[in-house]
Amino acid sequence: MRKSIKYIFLPLTIILFYFLFPYPLFLLGNETTFIFVIILCFVVEYFIEKAKNGDEIYMRPIAAIKAMEEAVGRSTEMGKPVLYVPGISSLDQIDTISGLTILGHVAGMTAEYEASLHVPVCVPIVMETAKETCKEAYLKKGRPDLYRKDMVHYVTDDQFAYAAGVNGIMLRDKPAAVFFQGKFYAESLILAETGNSIGAIQIAGTGSSSQIPFFVTACDYTLIGEEFYAASAYLSGSPEMLGSIKGQDYVKLGCMILIIVVFISSLFHSYGYIDFDISNMFRINILK
Amino acid sequence: MKRQLAYFLVIFIGFITLFGHFINYSPLNNFIDNDATQWFDIISGFAAFLGVINLLQLHLNKISNKKNDWRYSIITLFGFLVMIIFGFIYNGSDVAMGPHLKNEGSAFYWMFQNIYLPLGATMFALLAFFVASASYRAFKIRNFEASLLLVSGVFLMIGRVPVGQLIPWWMSAEIYVFLIFALIAGKFNERKQMLVSLFISMIFVPLIILYFNLTDLALFKITDLQEWIMDVPATAGSRAIMIGIALGTIAQSYRIITGREKSILGD
Repeated sequence: MRKSIKYIFLPLTIILFYFLFPYPLFLLGNETTFIFVIILCFVVEYFIEKAKNGDEIYMRPIAAIKAMEEAVGRSTEMGKPVLYVPGISSLDQIDTISGLTILGHVAGMTAEYEASLHVPVCVPIVMETAKETCKEAYLKKGRPDLYRKDMVHYVTDDQFAYAAGVNGIMLRDKPAAVFFQGKFYAESLILAETGNSIGAIQIAGTGSSSQIPFFVTACDYTLIGEEFYAASAYLSGSPEMLGSIKGQDYVKLGCMILIIVVFISSLFHSYGYIDFDISNMFRINILK
Repeated sequence: MKRQLAYFLVIFIGFITLFGHFINYSPLNNFIDNDATQWFDIISGFAAFLGVINLLQLHLNKISNKKNDWRYSIITLFGFLVMIIFGFIYNGSDVAMGPHLKNEGSAFYWMFQNIYLPLGATMFALLAFFVASASYRAFKIRNFEASLLLVSGVFLMIGRVPVGQLIPWWMSAEIYVFLIFALIAGKFNERKQMLVSLFISMIFVPLIILYFNLTDLALFKITDLQEWIMDVPATAGSRAIMIGIALGTIAQSYRIITGREKSILGD
């Protein structure tokens, strides 16, 4: 009963409150976003709670995530460094933050395997965060002695100058594993093709939908879309993090059902079988 | 304590930003729209100094210890110093220091226009070659998916260039025949058998189309076909990815602002 209050009545009450007391208490124009954010947060929270209570959470294997450890292991065996590229955006992008969370796990692996890690960075503020992330990861694995200050270093703020710098590092150091995890733009293919030419095992992940095809073509493994955001939770292996991914998947299932319902309903509407146009519900300002 | 403070700040600012997106309270909206972004810019500005210091430290260390490829570091430092001199010390024009950065007569402007921009453009131009090599790998017929990619790639490339509009229906039909034979080539035991079948198909397929008067089908207009590929299957695929990205972004943000995702702080 308490669960139903928390996960059904509470979100419904929030949504009702939102629609009963709209303007001037709430901003106009964000209604659809608000409903979906509330639903997603509560569904994710429900599955986190479920996972915490010991329910078994099955996660489908994601090849790119499984290959991360293999890639670091390969680098160790070959005695070559691991190159980690966290994209060219600053910390105001969720992709960069996701890239840095994955860096924490990769740094943990390199500390464990005693492989050398190299993180060239494009934005100074990202450099500081990446340094802290790597330092903590090495400390956590009990190998602070392996952490080097120049492991994470600044290259340049310019997009193509950065691409040239990273390409130079790849061609000189010949890393055995290259990770591209973050926000990328036109430089993605330049970097990935260079990595491919040196025979490195490449694992990419980005939320930039326009760059995904380039990474799919040039890299061995690619984390596509939400896989990229789920990677850190997946790598952590903690039940509550896995629960959050499960919740996210259920919301995706809900979206699929909604798309089918909207499609069928719109079809009926266009042929005049029903008067109600469901697509109106998804206009940004449904209150106007 | 230091870490707890970092978590607190992440959670606090995260929730404030989220609320500011929905609640109509001008100080809050003003904070997330203006103040917070300005704070971020100020912190980024200070971090730029750290970046410069890091760059200098790294390359000076490389040169002083004569590490591998230390000579490249000399070039990096030389470029860095030259731009510093032309930016802060030597002007080369009549305008005051500061505005001289955008003045055509200044040495800095000349360096920017004649060295920096061409170098950037060169890197960008390299993309054309990388696209060619990546396309070659992607379009190689290895499996069904790669074959689909090849077929749509061919139509897109032809349809997007002006000559695509001049292609008559029979030539489109022949392209289809070639593509189908490219896909089923492996099924033939003998090469001669395949070539004969190809030749017969090349003659009879256009005749069949002509006989049934199907020449006006959009299928045989490459420009229409490429538009359909871009508008329907490509858009559907990219929207599916976009929905996944949106859900992933919200879930990831939720994990961060509720303090569950701590990997960014090394946990």
